[in-house]
Amino acid sequence: MAIQTNKDKPGTSREYETIFILRPDTANDAIATLNTRLKGIVETMGGKILKADNWGKRKLAYEIKKQMKGIYLYWQYLATPGTVEELERNLRMLDNVIRYQSVKIDSDVDPTARPSEVSDETWAKAATTAADEEEIMTGQSASRSPYDDDDDIDPDAEEEALQAAGGDDDEKKDQE
Amino acid sequence: MANQDDLDNDFGDDDKKRGRGGVNKRGFGRKKKMLNEKELTIDYKDPQTLKYFITDRGKIMPRRITGASAKTQRKIALAIKRARKIALMPFTVTGK
Repeated sequence: MAIQTNKDKPGTSREYETIFILRPDTANDAIATLNTRLKGIVETMGGKILKADNWGKRKLAYEIKKQMKGIYLYWQYLATPGTVEELERNLRMLDNVIRYQSVKIDSDVDPTARPSEVSDETWAKAATTAADEEEIMTGQSASRSPYDDDDDIDPDAEEEALQAAGGDDDEKKDQE
Repeated sequence: MANQDDLDNDFGDDDKKRGRGGVNKRGFGRKKKMLNEKELTIDYKDPQTLKYFITDRGKIMPRRITGASAKTQRKIALAIKRARKIALMPFTVTGK
């Protein structure tokens, strides 16, 4: 099914890396289904996945689709020509994915020389999003867009979480 | 008469020979940051290293300020543009 080109030596693959950003409120099992789907695409087209990482929720440098944070997934894989097009077509269709970027790192890579670092454990890890600092501090889901009304936040819960974390610096100074 | 003209030209050439190390009329002050380019790994996934090459507004700094070679400057610019696309670096920073 892979497209044959004249530039590639037969029996070699190209190495790519793709970063895609998901909505911050995507659940872990949604990420897992997404991963399996994309894995299926790469493998049917004769590719091999080298790395699949989840960088967790990160603050975006600018707002995308009204979201200030996003879940970053990083994949590194060997693939034949035409795979990236198919992968990106699928990413475009999914609602959870708000941005993606693929970069070619190398061509004429011997597939047997690069061991795949993914195992079942890697997939399980890739589907779990690490909580970021804001979530740990406030104990609330941080998928708030700047257009949300701040009245929705429960100030008591925030206060409790702050107290549990060690109190406010200003209050400590007053107590001294 | 021809000799006089040649002498005048020589003074002009001296400035060029000294190189732009002298005082630049625009007042940049010619300190080129000496980049140790062999130790530099430019990667668009690493915004911490790339932060040295942008201004406070988020614009890419020109080569004459950073002191990078042409090849390195091209790599830096490409990395910054890729990082901007996946929101690891901003396109512009509005000062608040």
